[in-house]
Formats: sequence, structure tokens, C-alpha cells
Amino acid sequence: MDVFEAIEGRRSVRKFKLKTVEREFTEKLLTAACWAPSGGNIQPWKFIVVEDRTTLEMVRKISPGYFGQTPLAILVCSDKMRAHRVGGTMGRDYLSIADCAMATENIVLAACALGLGTCIVKSFSHAAMKEILEIPEGVEPELLVVVGYTDASPAPPRRIPLKENTYLNKFGQSFQPAGA
Amino acid sequence: MTKARNTGNEYLFELALFLATSARNCIDEPPLYGPFRLLDAISRLAALPEHAEGLDEDPFLKEVKAFVDEKKFLVTTDVEGFTRAADELVERFAKELKRRSAENRSNE
Repeated sequence: MDVFEAIEGRRSVRKFKLKTVEREFTEKLLTAACWAPSGGNIQPWKFIVVEDRTTLEMVRKISPGYFGQTPLAILVCSDKMRAHRVGGTMGRDYLSIADCAMATENIVLAACALGLGTCIVKSFSHAAMKEILEIPEGVEPELLVVVGYTDASPAPPRRIPLKENTYLNKFGQSFQPAGA
Repeated sequence: MTKARNTGNEYLFELALFLATSARNCIDEPPLYGPFRLLDAISRLAALPEHAEGLDEDPFLKEVKAFVDEKKFLVTTDVEGFTRAADELVERFAKELKRRSAENRSNE
């Protein structure tokens, strides 16, 4: 699949089929995540792959933003200690989050290319997630990616057109896309 | 029998947990997520008879659940549509309240 097809075809899926995600695919998603850009090459990410059914159920129950039932979820965490050690205050407070977001984007695009549906969830209980997955101090859960085979894909949401959010050479100066 | 009761209790626990985590998250989340979670809670509450013994299925709440499940995700794509759906839901409840009140009065 062309990268633009994945970018435009990805949706936040909330209804999944009851079908297991192959381990080979899970590894591909994680490899894609690890190739994300990283400020100062900190690579602050830690991933927790949740595929145990009981644990997955607990994660779902403490995540109001987790809809549908999936065979797999990947929690993207930031290692704040590492980010601070390698990247200083900016690494800890900003780059660690930005890097995890970029790794997450790689996961969902790779999933799309593999024919999998995903939804990025931030609406989970931070404290409960740390308790259930036994996440140590200094490591923070950032984003949960729920993964499975899509049962129903939502219609594409409206996107703000380029002419409304993009400027040429300086802020406020109109950028006219060629097709406009 | 015991199993059904356990299922009901488990569902009730899950519902309470949903409300607890939603309450905490609503402090930081976008303001519209508050109404969104409440609507989702109605949907989950309406499913309680499927899990708990001794509760009859309520046709009105079943319809409400279907309506909420169809409309709730408008919160991320169409705020006006989401608001209209919330308005319509309250109107439906008001009409049902009147109907039930009249029914109760006639049964007195």
C-alpha cells in the first residue's frame, strides 16, 4: 500500500472482528514504531503489548475511550528518566511526548498497510493503567493503540482545508494549493 | 442462577468503574467529552437487563440505546449534530415520562 493511501485511508475504528492478530504483524507494528523520528535520537518509548485476554479486559474497563473488543492493544509509554538523561528538560517534558506520538502514528499507518484497524486512545485512567500493567515510576503511559481486524469503518471526518490552516512565507499570507 | 447474578454484579462493577474513570478523565479532557461520557453511560445502563437477573427489558431504553450508539460519536466530527441528538434524546425522554405518568395515573 502506498504511504498516501495509508494516511488517507486510516480511520479510528471502534468495531472489530473477533480474529486474532498474527504475532508477525504485531512485530511489524513495533518495528515501524521504533523507526519513528526521535528528537536527539532519545528513543524514549517503551511498548507494552497486551494480548492476554484477562489483562486486555482490565485495560478496556479502565479506558472510557476504548470501544469494541480487540485481540490486541499496544500501550506506548515514555521513559522520562531516559528522556531526561539524554535530552535534558526538553527531552523529558516535550520530546518524549512528541516522539511517542510519532511512534504511535507509525503503528497505525503500518497497521493500515497490513489490513488492520486501529484506534488511538488517550481516554484511559493513567493511575489504573500503571497499577494494572505494573508500570514503574519514571515511565508514563502516553497512548493506547487498540488493534484488530476492522468490522465497520467510519466515514472520513471533515478535514480543515489547506487554505484555512496553511500560510506561505509568513503567518497570515494566503497559501493557494494548485488544485484550488 | 448464581452465574447470572455474578454477571449482573460484574456488569454493575464495570459500569461503576466506567463512571469513576470517566469522572477523573473529565477533569482534563475536552469539555464535550463530559456529555459524551454521560450519553455512553446511558447506553451502558440501558444494557443492564441483558446482564442482571430480575430486570425486564425496557423497550424504550432499548431504543434509546440504539439511538445513542448511533449518534454519540458525532462528538468528534459534528458538534452541532451531537447537540441536536442530545436535544432529541431529552425530548424522547420527556415524552416517555409524560406517557408513563399518565399510565401510572390511570392505574391509580
